Amino acid sequence: MSVLGLVQRPGRIVAGNILFKGQDLVRMPADELREVRGRDIAMIFQDPLSSLNPVLRIGFQIDEAMRAHDKIPPTQIETRGVELLKEVRVPDAPRRVKDYPHQFSGGMRQRAMIAMGLSNRPEILIADEPTTALDVTVQAQILELLRDLNQEMGTSIVLITHNLGVVAGLCKRVLVMYAGEIVEEGPVEQIFESPQHPYTWSLLRSIPRIDADRRRRLRSIEGLPPDLIALPPGCKFSPRCPFRIERCFRDEPKLDEVQPAQRASCWVTMKRAYAEMGAGDIIDTRPGAASGVRPPKGVAARVDDQRMLESPDIGHAGER
Amino acid sequence: MSTLAPTTATESIRAREPLLRVVDVVKHFHAGVAGSVKALDGVSFEIQAGETVGLVGESGCGKSTLGRVVAQLLPATSGQVIFDGVDLTRLHGERLRQQRKQLQIIFQDPFASLDPRMTVGDIIAEPLVNFGLIQGKQKDQRVQELLRVVGLNPYFNNRYPHEFSGGQRQRIGIARALALNPKLIVCDEPVSALDVSIQAQIINLLEDLQREFHLTYLFIAHDLSVVRHIGNRVMVMYLGKIVEVAGSEDLDRSQQHPYTKALLSAIPVPNPRIQPGRRLIALSGEIPSPLNPPSGCRFHTRCPIAQIPTPCAHEEPPLERKTANHFAACHFSEKVDSIN
Repeated sequence: MSVLGLVQRPGRIVAGNILFKGQDLVRMPADELREVRGRDIAMIFQDPLSSLNPVLRIGFQIDEAMRAHDKIPPTQIETRGVELLKEVRVPDAPRRVKDYPHQFSGGMRQRAMIAMGLSNRPEILIADEPTTALDVTVQAQILELLRDLNQEMGTSIVLITHNLGVVAGLCKRVLVMYAGEIVEEGPVEQIFESPQHPYTWSLLRSIPRIDADRRRRLRSIEGLPPDLIALPPGCKFSPRCPFRIERCFRDEPKLDEVQPAQRASCWVTMKRAYAEMGAGDIIDTRPGAASGVRPPKGVAARVDDQRMLESPDIGHAGER
Repeated sequence: MSTLAPTTATESIRAREPLLRVVDVVKHFHAGVAGSVKALDGVSFEIQAGETVGLVGESGCGKSTLGRVVAQLLPATSGQVIFDGVDLTRLHGERLRQQRKQLQIIFQDPFASLDPRMTVGDIIAEPLVNFGLIQGKQKDQRVQELLRVVGLNPYFNNRYPHEFSGGQRQRIGIARALALNPKLIVCDEPVSALDVSIQAQIINLLEDLQREFHLTYLFIAHDLSVVRHIGNRVMVMYLGKIVEVAGSEDLDRSQQHPYTKALLSAIPVPNPRIQPGRRLIALSGEIPSPLNPPSGCRFHTRCPIAQIPTPCAHEEPPLERKTANHFAACHFSEKVDSIN
C-alpha cells in the first residue's frame, strides 16, 4: 500500500524512500504517482468481491484501468479487455465481459482483478494475499496463472502471503516480516532449508505439512504477535523466542548477512541455536526454553502485559 | 443409498457400538421457487470413541451443515444421528437437551461465538448453570480449572471477550465446550480464522485435551493438511456427499476418488525444491450448484476419468470398501492412481 501511496490517513510514510527506476515514489507529486499507479505498478487485492464495483460490468471495469492511462490506444481498449479476460482463462470471455461481479464465482472475480491489474502491461504486480479467500483447487489455478505471467511476460511479482506453500511454489526470493520489520531475507531454497531467524524457523515448523509425518507434534510459536503500539525493547521476537539470550531484550539486532545472499536480524541465529542449544531436537518451544533465558525484571512485566493472559514463559512454568 | 461404511480395519474389536453413527442423513434447505438446496444428500458414517475423524471439502460442500446436524443445531430432513446409542433425530425438548450435554461444538469464528456482554467466567459456566450443575463458589472454581486446562490465566475470569486475542478466544470457546465433560466435540473450522503462528497452539491444545479427557472429535476444515494432521481418519466431501473415507496414512499412500487426488495435488507443499515442479490435476469448471446437482456421480462434470454418459452420468456410485481401511464412491477408483 505504501509503494502505491494508498496508505490512508492518519497513516503516512514518515521516513525512507521507495525507488522505482530511480524515482522516489514517496516524494512524487500525487498526479505523477497516479500515472505510475495502475500503469507501471499494479496491485491486486485479497478480497475480489469488495474490490470490484458491484454496479459496473466486469468489462467496463477492466477497460477503465486502460482509459485512465494512455498506454493502450483507445481504439484497442475494448478488444484488449476481452483478450485479457481470455488470458486469465475466464471461459466464454466475449460474453462474460458484459457480466456484473455477482455473476462471477470467487475464482473468476480474482481472475478479472488480475486482468485489470495486467491491463496496462505493468512492470510490477503487487499481489496482496491473492488466493487467501479461495478454495485450494482454485488457488492452485490462480497461482499457475501468476507463474505463467511472470515467466512469459516478464512481469515482476511481489506476492504478499502467509501461506508458505504458496511462497515455495511461486517465489525466487523471500522477505520474512515480523512486527513491521523485515527479519530475514534470502533465496527461497535457503530460507526454507536453512532459515537463520528463529521466527522463520518456527513458522516453518508450526504448520501441518502434507509432506510430513502426521504424528509429528507441531512446534507452536507461543504467545502473541506484539502490539504495534507498545513494541518490546530489543528484538521484537524476543518475548516469544525459544533461543533468546540476554542481549535480545536490550539491543535491537540489524539485518546482517548470515550466509551468502541471506540476511537475518538476530543476535543468535539458528546456526548457533543448533550448535549450542540443541535446536535440532527441541520439543519445548516456550519462550526461552532452549536457552534458559528469562526476561529481565521490568521487561518481563511489559512482556506479560502484551501477552495479556497466557503464561507460556518458562519463568511461569510453575503456574501452568 | 450406499452400504454403511464400517470404520476400522479390525472389525472384530468393533463389536461395540460406535459413539456416533450417522445414517443416510439428508438436509435440504428450501430456496423458494428455485427449489431446495441439497446440502446433504444421504450421508452415512461412524465415529468410534476416542477417534478423531477429519471432514474436509471446499466451500459449499456441506461440511459445516453436517457438523450442525450432528450437534442437532439443525434438524435433519431425514436420516438418523445415533449418538451413544440414542437416535437424536427422534428426541425433542428436554430429552434432546439432556442427551446433548455429551455433545459439544467449537465454532470457526471466535469473535462471533462469544457473547461480548458476558464475562469469560459466565460464558464458560453457562452450560453448567443451564443444566443446574453448579452453584455459588463452585462456579468460580470450575471456571478457573477450565481456564487453566486451556492454557489461560485462571484469574482473568471476570474479563470480557474483547480483551482477548483470537487464539485466546478460541481457547475460551474450547473451555466452554469442555465444561460439561462431553464425549464428542464437533470442531467446525476451529483454526481457520487464526493467525498462522497461533494455529499450532490450538491444534496442539486440542490434541492434548483429547488425550487427557478421552475426547472424540469430528474435526471439520477446508485444509486437508490440517485435517490429515489431526485426524486418524479423513472423510472427503463433495457437493453434499462423502466421496472418500480412509485412514490418514492410507490416504497418503493412495487416493481412490479422483476428487481427493485433485484436492491433494492442489495443496502447495512448503518445499521450494518440490512445489514448483508438482503437477496440478486441474478440474474443469466450477463446483455445480447444490440446487440442481449433476445426475449420477455428482463429480462427473469435472472428473478427469469420467465415462459419460454411462455409467458416470447415470448411476450414482455407492460409497464402497476398496481396501481394508479405505472407502470411496467411484465407478473407476482403480484408475485414480493413473491420473496425472
